[in-house]
Order: sequence, then C-alpha cells, then structure tokens
Amino acid sequence: MYRKQVRRRRAVLTLLVIGSFLLLTITYGQSSGGVQRGVSTIFSPLQTVADRALKPARDLVDWFDKTFDARGENSRLKAELVTARRQAVAGQEALQENAQLRKLVELDRGPALAESAYEPVTGRVIARSPTVWTSTVAIDVGSGDGVKVDDPVISGDGLVGLVSSTEGGSAQVTLITDHASAVSAKVVPSGVQGAIRPDVGDPEDLILDFIDSTTKDVHRGQAVVTSGWRAQGIASLFPPGLPVGEVTSAPIVEQEASQQIHLRPYADMANLDLVQVLTGGSRE
Amino acid sequence: MIVTPKIFARLVAIVILAVLLQLSFFSRVELLHTSADVLPAVVVSLGLLGGSLTGAVAGFSVGFLVDCLLVAPLGGSSLVLIGAGYLAGLFRERFDIHSALVPPLVCMGLTLFAELGFGAVQVMLGVDAPVSVLIVRDMLLKSIYAFFLAWPIYFGLRRLLRPALVEEPKVTRRRQPTVLGRT
Repeated sequence: MYRKQVRRRRAVLTLLVIGSFLLLTITYGQSSGGVQRGVSTIFSPLQTVADRALKPARDLVDWFDKTFDARGENSRLKAELVTARRQAVAGQEALQENAQLRKLVELDRGPALAESAYEPVTGRVIARSPTVWTSTVAIDVGSGDGVKVDDPVISGDGLVGLVSSTEGGSAQVTLITDHASAVSAKVVPSGVQGAIRPDVGDPEDLILDFIDSTTKDVHRGQAVVTSGWRAQGIASLFPPGLPVGEVTSAPIVEQEASQQIHLRPYADMANLDLVQVLTGGSRE
Repeated sequence: MIVTPKIFARLVAIVILAVLLQLSFFSRVELLHTSADVLPAVVVSLGLLGGSLTGAVAGFSVGFLVDCLLVAPLGGSSLVLIGAGYLAGLFRERFDIHSALVPPLVCMGLTLFAELGFGAVQVMLGVDAPVSVLIVRDMLLKSIYAFFLAWPIYFGLRRLLRPALVEEPKVTRRRQPTVLGRT
C-alpha cells in the first residue's frame, strides 16, 4: 500500500516536471501563447481590483521605507540642489525661448515628442514580477486602447520600458532594468552615444555600453536621453530626447577598458504607478 | 491531506489569492530595496501541511499562473516551485514538526532554494546583461522576509485547511511529578 503511494507520488512528480519542461520548450521565445492571453484576460479585472484595494497598504509600507531612506538621501540631495540651481538659472533663458517657439508651432506636447506622431495613453501599473531576474510590470491599458507591442512607456520622470505583449484590456511592459532590454541613448551635452543595458539585480544601476572610448567629456550628473536613431529604413523604437537617467560614475579607466559608464534611471522603477504608453509612433 | 471538493476549492482560492497578492502587493512594496516573495512560502506551507504530492501540485499551479499573468515563458517558475513544494512535503513525511519554529525555518531555506532556482532557470534561458552582486543580497533578504511571513502564512493555511489535515499526535507536556503539598 505504502509502496503504491510512493510510486504514484513519484509518477505525478515526474509528470509535473516533464510538463514544465515541455511548456518551457514550447513557449520559450514566443511573444505570447493563447493560454497566457486567455488567463491574463480573465485575471486582468481581478488584478485591477486587487491593485486599487491594496494601494493604501502599499502606500503605508512605502512610507516606512521612504522615511528610512530619506535620512541618507538628504545630504546627497542637498549637494544635487546646488548643482541643479546653477543649471536652472542657466536654463531659464532657454526655457523662455522654448515656450515661445512651442507657442508658435502650436504644440502642447513635450519636446521629446514634438516631432513624432506618438499619442500618449495613460495607464496604471497593476502587477509586477516577483523576482529580480525579470523586470516586467502589467498595466491596465491594452490593445483595446490602441497599445501595441514595442510601444515605448514613460513615467513622469523618464523612460520606463517597452510594451512586450498586449491583451484587450492589459499589457505587459518590459522595464529598462530587465536583462532583455537595450536602449540606444546618448549623454547630453557631450553627445556620447551607446546602448543602455541593465545591471541585473540592481535596479538603481544601468550601464551605457559600447561608448566611444576616446571621449573624455562624460561626467557625473550629466543627463542621458534616448538617441532615437533612424537609418536605412529602420528606426529606434524610442523617440529621441526621452530622459532616461543621470550619469553616476564615469571613470576614465572604465571608459577606456570596457567602453561603459554607469547611470541611475530617473524613473523610480520600484514605485511605478501611473505610466504613459506612446502609441502610434512611426516605425519601419 | 484528504482532498474533498470543498478543500479543493479552498486550495484553488489560496493559489489565486496568493498570486494576486504577490503581483499586486508584495512585488510592489520594498523594504531595504527588496520586495518579499511569498509564493515559495505559500507553496512550502502547503507542502508541509499536505505532503509532497500537494506541495508539488501547488508549486506547479502557482508557477503556471504567475507565468501566465506575467507572460513569461511557461514552465520556468513551475519547475522551481514544484521542487520547493515537493521538498517541503518530503520533510513533513520524514520528520515530525514539533516546534513552531520549524515551518518558518523550512520556508526560509526553501525560499532561498527557490530564488537560486529562478536564477538557474534564467541563466538556462539566457541572461543578456551583466549580473550585479547585489542579487545575492536580494536573495538573502527575500529568505529572511520569508521567515517572518511564514508564521502568518503557515498557521493561517493550517487553520483554513484544518478539516482536511491528518491529525498529528499532540505533543503534551508531561507534568512534573508532585509531592503532596509541593508543586
């Protein structure tokens, strides 16, 4: 009797393991299977309800976490404030000029989107992946709202990621901190170009890779924006000029040896709530 | 575990609720820059309560649902959580759980196992970016969170599934022999 039980148990275990491997083999590399779409569509309203219901609890925990962090951040922010104030004074004139020019061409969108045909669709984050190995979030807008695969996603702070799959009322966004992500970007004002890749496990650190090692113009605190290239009939998925992050370290040795610098994303990936999907962009 | 239709419905509800809570709450709040992962703890608790078969099936179901909702390659999370659930069940079948500390400790150990497993599966599927050493801190913190979260999870699930559980002999504390007039 006991042996029979053990045999049955082992058979079920073997079946489950083989089933998992089969599923992995069948679905790996595909954007989205029918089963996943079905389950995701069924659970999407539930996730939205759970997200809204749990928001006060999330905010409470966030408050504790942020209060804990705030002490250490205070001194760093004070130093940054001095630099930012200097830049703000310098940029005041440019802003005024910019406002006048935008008025002239009757554009009500940000400079990054001014020349593109992107139409922003606002959505709310309703779920997030549990492991640090993958950085994806689910949002409550989908193909029904005009969202398509490969649409860029931004938050109020900067670039967040790219839509990786869509259903009727929801979509999955692969964040720029995910290992599968790569964004072509440039440092401003120096114009040094490269590809942004994540440092898996550390969402506060991104790497601008493949930069020109002969350039010495990159310094800490400089902004990094999407470069939005277009060449020979193909174009970047991101419009040019979207803010991505700021340079946190750019040692000459590392620039020369591994052609890379480090940056911190502007968008707070851990606390994403409202995001905008830039739909309808021209891409070939 | 005696699985009646009512208990089966409860198990399904537990799995769905756990996954929804994880994706909508636990994954989105961070303490010390790390979010808690309660899914291994739930699977391990079910394994400890229901045995290796229940643990493995719960692990498969939880992993399958998570992969579906995150549109990740199906089977990756299942594979890891089957292992965690099965090992927890084996532990329950081989050893008696006499101390209230055992379930949280098993949850902690198997959460670390699961996190390493998720990493192994990801490496198997291909990681196209450098990996930070901070990932080790993240795994350890997740295991520590699992230790604390395992208390409410394990004892809550035990309460919820009590009608289906095979009664374990209660460990009664033997009274000290008394001499008349003295305690």
